[in-house]
Amino acid sequence: MSTTAPPTVTFALTEEQQLLRSMVRELLTERVTSARLREVMLGDEGYDAVLWRELADLGLVGLAIPEHLGGGGSGFVEVSIVLEELGRVLAPVPYLSSVVLGATVVATGGSEDQQARVLPDVATGSTRLALAHLDTAGRLTGPPGIRASRVADGWVLEGEAGYVVDGRTATDLVVAATTDDGLELFLVDAEADGVERTDVEVLDATRPMATVGFSGVRVDDANRLTGAEPMAALHAGLQAAVVAIACEQVGGTQRTLEDATAYARDRVQFGRAIGSFQAVKHRLAEMLVAAESARSAAHHAARVLATDERQELAVAAPLAKAYCSEVYEQATGDAIQIFGGIGFTWEHDTHLYFKRAKSTKLLLGDPKHHRSLLGDALGI
Amino acid sequence: MKVLVPVKRVPDTAGEKKIDPNDNTVDRESVESVLCPVNEFAIEEAVRLKESHDAEVTVLLVGPESAQPIVRKALSYGLDAGLQVTDDAIAGSDALGTARVIAKALEEQEFDLVLFGNQSTDARTCLVPAAVAELLGLPSLTYARHLEIDGGSVTVHREHEEGWDVVTSQLPAVVSVVEAINEPRYPSFKGIMAAKSKPLDVRSLADLGVEPEQVGANGATATMYEFKDRPPKEAGTIVEDDGTGAAAAQLADWMTEKKFV
Repeated sequence: MSTTAPPTVTFALTEEQQLLRSMVRELLTERVTSARLREVMLGDEGYDAVLWRELADLGLVGLAIPEHLGGGGSGFVEVSIVLEELGRVLAPVPYLSSVVLGATVVATGGSEDQQARVLPDVATGSTRLALAHLDTAGRLTGPPGIRASRVADGWVLEGEAGYVVDGRTATDLVVAATTDDGLELFLVDAEADGVERTDVEVLDATRPMATVGFSGVRVDDANRLTGAEPMAALHAGLQAAVVAIACEQVGGTQRTLEDATAYARDRVQFGRAIGSFQAVKHRLAEMLVAAESARSAAHHAARVLATDERQELAVAAPLAKAYCSEVYEQATGDAIQIFGGIGFTWEHDTHLYFKRAKSTKLLLGDPKHHRSLLGDALGI
Repeated sequence: MKVLVPVKRVPDTAGEKKIDPNDNTVDRESVESVLCPVNEFAIEEAVRLKESHDAEVTVLLVGPESAQPIVRKALSYGLDAGLQVTDDAIAGSDALGTARVIAKALEEQEFDLVLFGNQSTDARTCLVPAAVAELLGLPSLTYARHLEIDGGSVTVHREHEEGWDVVTSQLPAVVSVVEAINEPRYPSFKGIMAAKSKPLDVRSLADLGVEPEQVGANGATATMYEFKDRPPKEAGTIVEDDGTGAAAAQLADWMTEKKFV
């Protein structure tokens, strides 16, 4: 139930946040060119390691990690700014998987010792976390694909986890597993004996996913997360990721709008700019209105997450994910029409955005799923 | 050592600039204002001097109060303090008027080195660094593409069309740098967060002892009477390859003529 408005109702950025945005935009515009993106996307490395290093050195990877653990100690609003900019250029780095999904689950579900062991290396970028919590059918509401059994001085993990974002390139896995006593979370070295990671074919090649098999993987008791209740910690990570995806989608939508508008001004047909034709002009005008609304929804969710207003988050997060997904999909689909023939080619970047829109629409729940969560939260 | 880096607020270099026909100055509303990109090379060189020589670096900006974010941006690279000269009378100053204000502001400061960008991306006069050096009676080393500090002296590689000269001077000195000198880094998140807590001193013309009539539009030695839009781009030269290899020679000649090689 949404009862209280979040304390901050203005979406205006502080001077520091504006500087952060312009710095990240400049950096990413310079580094993530279409050529570089395609090189990474089609290469074997799975992510842009050079850019990742640079983002970490600038303090952007550890942004929200507490200062005493080597991070920047900022809130989610700063993280959301980075996410929007990453989404704007489809930056092929494991930010969502490690910084948002992995780090949030560890920060919530890990004990103080476990956080101190893991998070400093996440902040420097040398540890890249991936969350394995789904089964190979990818069911959001079903049990995880991994089962953990108690042995003398630890646990043994068995099973297969599906749709693990950046699963093949992660250094460590945060694993949600079913036990006899309910859900537990484990930290597993991605190179451990018995772990097998296979890239799966995905629509959006700028964001790889893997199937991760566990056969007789031994995990010490020290690596079972013992902070907050496991289900709550997993939920916190997923909710942060849902908001994060919405922010990325806003960045991608905005870029799509700008590129399509520039093209409509520039491209002349029948002796005039195609943007002067109503069929094109109205499409762009509607894209702008939708993009603005999507931004409001995502920024609201990011602020609610930053202030930890849990009741409001139950409304704001699914709302942002459902709405921004649909806006992004519509915008990229419309952009293909506006770009005409060139928009259908492999060389043009529009299809990359279209595929990111399609894949993120489904990632961690489609709009229908989130509308149903929203309905539950509102009691309707 | 102490280093001063004068910076300028300019209309976004990539943006389309307009001139306000009412007062023949740049229409600041029409385009976003940014820290002059050439200054970033001077700032980077100053940051390197912080790392190598433990330099203390102050950034200096002459401009209205609304330009303060530009000082903060410069500080976000890790510089130590800001100094801003703000006065309504400065509006409309030409390069020499600006140089007068900068020179007066510098007179009050202790410094070993002043690091300018060689030009701003809006006016591109390249005059200010040399004018400031002249007003202060200090050595002027312009167009530096390489800079070294050795005890009490500075050595630069001064770029020109055929290469560079090696120029050495005693400190204190005024140096202007070109873009070939380094690759500027991006400010870190820590730098951005720290920028606001850095000391920022704001001075007026009266504080510096500059007479208002020496600066601004009235004190300017250059006056703009008229402006025109840039003429449309003319068609380029097309060198056609007829299979005999003559095209390569033509292309090479053309590139030599245009000084590309």
